[in-house]
Amino acid sequence: MEPWKLEPARDTGLTPSERFRSVRRESGLLESLAHHVCFSMLRSYFAIAHRLTIIGRDKLPAHGPFVLAANHCSHLDALILGAALTPRHRERAFPIAAGDVFFQSNVTSTFSAIMLNALPMWRKNCGPHALADLRRKLQEEKAIFIIFPEGGRSRTGSMMPFKHGLGMLVAQTNVPVVPCGLVGTFEALPPHRRLPQPVAIKLVLGDALQFASTANDRTGWSQIAAQVESSVGDLVTQSRTA
Amino acid sequence: MSQVTRERLFGFRHAFDDRVTVVLTLTALILLLLAPLLIFVVTRAANSTSDKRKELWDRYRSWIWLALFILIPILAGAFWTILGVATLSFLCYREYARITGLFRERTISLIVVIGILFITFAALDNWYRLFVALFPLTVALIATGGLIPDQPKGYIQRVGLGVLGFALFGSALGNLGYMANDWNYRPILLLIIFAVELNDIFAYICGYLFGHRKFVPNTSPNKTVAGALGAIVLTTPLFALGAHFVWFGTALDTPVRLLGLGVIVSVVGQFGDLMLSSIKRDLGLKDTAKLIPGHGGILDRFDSLILVAPAMFHYVNYFVGFAAGQPQQIFSGWEI
Repeated sequence: MEPWKLEPARDTGLTPSERFRSVRRESGLLESLAHHVCFSMLRSYFAIAHRLTIIGRDKLPAHGPFVLAANHCSHLDALILGAALTPRHRERAFPIAAGDVFFQSNVTSTFSAIMLNALPMWRKNCGPHALADLRRKLQEEKAIFIIFPEGGRSRTGSMMPFKHGLGMLVAQTNVPVVPCGLVGTFEALPPHRRLPQPVAIKLVLGDALQFASTANDRTGWSQIAAQVESSVGDLVTQSRTA
Repeated sequence: MSQVTRERLFGFRHAFDDRVTVVLTLTALILLLLAPLLIFVVTRAANSTSDKRKELWDRYRSWIWLALFILIPILAGAFWTILGVATLSFLCYREYARITGLFRERTISLIVVIGILFITFAALDNWYRLFVALFPLTVALIATGGLIPDQPKGYIQRVGLGVLGFALFGSALGNLGYMANDWNYRPILLLIIFAVELNDIFAYICGYLFGHRKFVPNTSPNKTVAGALGAIVLTTPLFALGAHFVWFGTALDTPVRLLGLGVIVSVVGQFGDLMLSSIKRDLGLKDTAKLIPGHGGILDRFDSLILVAPAMFHYVNYFVGFAAGQPQQIFSGWEI
C-alpha cells in the first residue's frame, strides 16, 4: 500500500468521454468492481468453454509494474491474459487496445474503459508523446500492461514481427516483461469470425525479461522487440508441441 | 404499507395539492422560458464575445436538465425524491473522493457508500432513530476501516477525509431526503432549492452592483461584503413569505421565527459555497469536475445546499417537526 497523499485523481478536469479515452484515467470503486466481475466471469467462461490451461502462472511478478507481451490473433487474447491475472493484479491491469477499434465511439470507449480497463493506442497517429505517457504511467502507478507488440491481430494465425513500441515503454527501466504464448485463440475466434468456437486454449508464461541496461534508443528498442519476439515464439512452438 | 404512505411515496396525483408547489413550479418553467430571451438581449446589449455567449447558452441548457432532474422526482413522489437525493449524495461524494484522492482508499470509500445506502433506507423507512444513529455508527466504522491496511502513517488524514465526506454528503444531504417523509414535502424541498439558488444569484448581482470591499479574498476572491449582505436582505423575506404559506398556522408561523429560518438559509447557504471554495483552493482546483457544461461538477452546483439541509431540518424540527402523523418504520416495522 502506498503512503497517503492529498492528491486529486490524475484525470480530474476531463469530461466523462475524454476521461474514458485518457491514459491518465484512474478507476473508482464501481469501475474496479466492474473490472473484477467482468474478468472473473471471463475466467469461468474460458475454463468452461475453452478448457483454458495456464502454464507457468508462478512466473508472474507479485505486483506491478510489469508488462505481459503476447502473440495476437484474436479478440479473445487480451481477455484471456486479463483473466489469467490474480484478483490482486487486476486492479492495476490495463490491456492496451487499438484506439480505432475500441475507443472510436462513446459506447465502445465506455465499455472498454469500465469493463476491461483498457487504454487506447492510436495506431495511425501514435507519436512518441502517447508512448511517453504510457511509460510514465507504468512506473508511477505500478501498472500492469497487456500488450501485443505485433501491432494488430494476425490474419493467418502465424506471428508477425514485433514493433518497437514495447521497447519504448520498458528500455532502461526495471519493469519486467513477461513473454506469453497463446495457442488456440486463432482457431477459437479468428479475425474474420464474429462468434467464438469452443476450442481448447492454452496460455504459457515464460521467464520475465529485464531491460534495465538496454539503451532507450532505436537500437535498444529493436533488441527488445527481437528478444521478446523470440521468447514468445519459443513459448508458442513449445506449447503447440507439448 | 398503509394507504397514506403509498400515496406519499408514489402518489403523483397529489403533485399540485399545495399552492406553493404550483407557484414555484410555474416560476421555474417561466424562468426557463424567458431565459433565452434575456440571454439574447443581454449578450446583444453588452456586445459579448462568442466565448462568453457560448458559456451562457451552455449554462442555460444545463439548467433545463437540472430543473428536470430536480422537479420530476419531487413532483412524482417521496420515493423518487429520496432516491434522487441519494443519487445526489453519491455523485457529490464521488467528486469529493476523486478530488481529494480518497477514492484510492477502497475500504473507507466503501464504508461511506454503505453509510449513504443506509441513510437512504432510514429516510425511505421513516425510521428517525436509525437515521440519527447512522452518523456516529458510520464514523466508528470508518475509524475501524482505516485500521485495515495496518498503516498508521496518514491514518488521521484518511479517516478524517472519510468522516468529512460522510458528514457532508451522507448525513447532511440525507436530511434533505428525510424531509420527504413529511406529507407536505414538495413545497418544502422546492422552496429550499429555489431559495438557495436565488441566494447565489442575489449575492452575485448585489456584489456586481455595489461590491467594493472583498469578503474573504483568500478563499473566494470574487465575493464581496455587499454581495453577502445583499443576498441575506433579499433572500430572507422571500423565503419567510414562502415558509409562511407552507407552515401556515403552526408554531413556526410567527414573523420572528420565519425570518430566523430565512436568515439561516441565506447565511448557511453562503457558508456552503465558501466551504467548497476552500476545499477547491486547498487542492488547487478551479472546478470539482467537468460534468455539467457551463457549471463544472455536481458539487460546484449544489455546494450551497449541503449545509442548509441539516441547519434547516433541525430548526424546523425544533418548532414543528417533520413527518407528523406519518406511519414510521414502513418496511422494517415488523413484529418480532
